[in-house]
Amino acid sequence: MSAGPLAERDVALVDLLDRLLGGGVVIVGDITLAAANVDLVHVSLRALVSSVETARRQL
Amino acid sequence: MIELLAITDDATPPDPPLGAVRCGRLSVLWAPATEAALDADALWQREVLLEQLMERRDLLPVRLGTLVADERAACEAIAPRGEELARALERVRGAVELSVRALGASDDAPSPAPGEQTGREYLRDRLARDALAREVHAPLAAAARASVVLDGPEVLRAAYLVDRDEVDAFVARFRRLQHECSSVAMVCTGPWPPYSFAEEGDA
Repeated sequence: MSAGPLAERDVALVDLLDRLLGGGVVIVGDITLAAANVDLVHVSLRALVSSVETARRQL
Repeated sequence: MIELLAITDDATPPDPPLGAVRCGRLSVLWAPATEAALDADALWQREVLLEQLMERRDLLPVRLGTLVADERAACEAIAPRGEELARALERVRGAVELSVRALGASDDAPSPAPGEQTGREYLRDRLARDALAREVHAPLAAAARASVVLDGPEVLRAAYLVDRDEVDAFVARFRRLQHECSSVAMVCTGPWPPYSFAEEGDA
């Protein structure tokens, strides 16, 4: 998935975040989840979703 | 520490600084763990790495932020699930993931405050949204090897597992739907690695 123009990239980033945070193989065992960093991603995901919805309303 | 990126059965080693460790029939692809903050650019760089790996091999992406001490720990972590992961790899072989989100016209209007909408109105709205979701989802699912409807506030948020050779046909079908369902704003992104089809219960 290549990053296109800015607005498209933002929409694609929401899809990427959905997948990174909710998809993929979940491995249990002796692992460390980079939880602190993921919290930050959650914050920016909310910011982005709201900006995409706002942008759409302006169409 | 190393960060696990993907699981594959292809033995081709990736280019440094990425590494691979063979664990039975499977290989775990990894990157050196970094302390860098996960901003959008870092996430895109990780995604580009994964997509470059996917160009040459079938793989299952690993959930973001999965760190283990070393290659031995990586093998120990996947060993109990070896057969299940091998089956998942067969399911996605030769395919990519496409994402579709559809927003209904009513999503633009402010939601009615509680109490302003009668039960009958709510039900009618809900049925209309469900019908719209089916209208978009059914033809796309028919063009896909597998599909999964994901939770979300949209009329439809779904992922489709599509044969690499069929991506153009899928996108053409999506464009026709976009044209036919003009009351719905639809977005399709991809191709992605099969994030939404990596676990057995996903599809």
